Amino acid sequence: MDIIILGQQLMGYIPLGDIVLYLAPVNLFMFASALAFTTLIAISRTETQVEAGVGTLKDQEVKVDKDEFKIRRFLAIVCGLATAGAMITGDLFNFTLFVCLIGIVNIGIVAAVKQIDVLDAAFQYGLVAMIAILPLFGGAAMILASTGTISLLEIAHIPTTFMMIFGSLLLFLGVAGETGVAPFYATKAEMFRTPGSPFLLIIHLSSLLVIIRVIEILLIINKPF
Amino acid sequence: MSRIGRFWNSLATPKKIPRFYSVILGVLLLVGFIMPLALNDQQLYPRPTPQLQIDENDPLAPYDRGGVPLKEPGIVKSQYPQFSEKSGMVTSYLSPIAIGVSNTTIYYGTSIYSSPGGLIDEILYYSRGFDTILESTILMMAFVVATWVALHFTMKRREEE
Repeated sequence: MDIIILGQQLMGYIPLGDIVLYLAPVNLFMFASALAFTTLIAISRTETQVEAGVGTLKDQEVKVDKDEFKIRRFLAIVCGLATAGAMITGDLFNFTLFVCLIGIVNIGIVAAVKQIDVLDAAFQYGLVAMIAILPLFGGAAMILASTGTISLLEIAHIPTTFMMIFGSLLLFLGVAGETGVAPFYATKAEMFRTPGSPFLLIIHLSSLLVIIRVIEILLIINKPF
Repeated sequence: MSRIGRFWNSLATPKKIPRFYSVILGVLLLVGFIMPLALNDQQLYPRPTPQLQIDENDPLAPYDRGGVPLKEPGIVKSQYPQFSEKSGMVTSYLSPIAIGVSNTTIYYGTSIYSSPGGLIDEILYYSRGFDTILESTILMMAFVVATWVALHFTMKRREEE
């Protein structure tokens, strides 16, 4: 297969049956950075927050205990691997599955916290992530119905119809809910108010990388240029 | 002006976010009703029409894909035939129990027997095997999170004094 996607020559592909992971420079770079960050997280320890008492000397340390540390590290590593996978997959349905995995794991990372505000926010984020599964998979199914294939390498040659545009809108709304970007950001912002910094950062990084990737996918599907 | 301010403020309240998201999703889904449908009939993963097989009194009714195990491939189309050369070879495999049941009734295809080891959906397990792995990973992570929360009671049961 000699294919150019968005102006970049493919450097190779990894065939797993019908699911073909493709290696293009941008995707490879994002894949490598996701993996590098995951490694950093796997070998680091959590921060400790200090809650200062105003007017007194009663400063309080907020620490992460060992059980919590372990489950968070595990879920953060899974989240990093899922992000890395979402970067190089060349199959639309596979991509939606990776995004879904990221959403579930994000809830898990903050579910181990013992602060009520944070848990409430995580619950609301979980609700949005559950609702977002409908447009996410619905969009992929809509694109499959209108093109007859879900391999991005094939979709790149098929002229765009209105149904594909609608499908990709649904897909984008699904990813937006699943990663919690701009208008739906409040739930995630509350989630960060908890100790255990390096593991929380993977939530940020995964949503940033996934948004970049979904824009690439939307460009491949809709071919505006 | 104050109305817009109140709207921005409501966006900063986590409790309002699921409602806000559902409204946007609902508006977008309404577009689906007036959308011109342009379905592609050259589908990648085809199935024969269910009525056709039911009228023929085929015991495997909606799921018969034909073929003989390990000898003759069934009706399986894959995106990249060059990556899955042996595709379709075990699609029609039936376990001994399944063969026995399918000889006694014509409703075998829709019965509960037809699933594990009865009729293998090869598209799922062979050409799209990676999806199966990911799906079960999602399920496993959900169980990991639920188990951890259940074992450690992360909710504060009572407010601290």
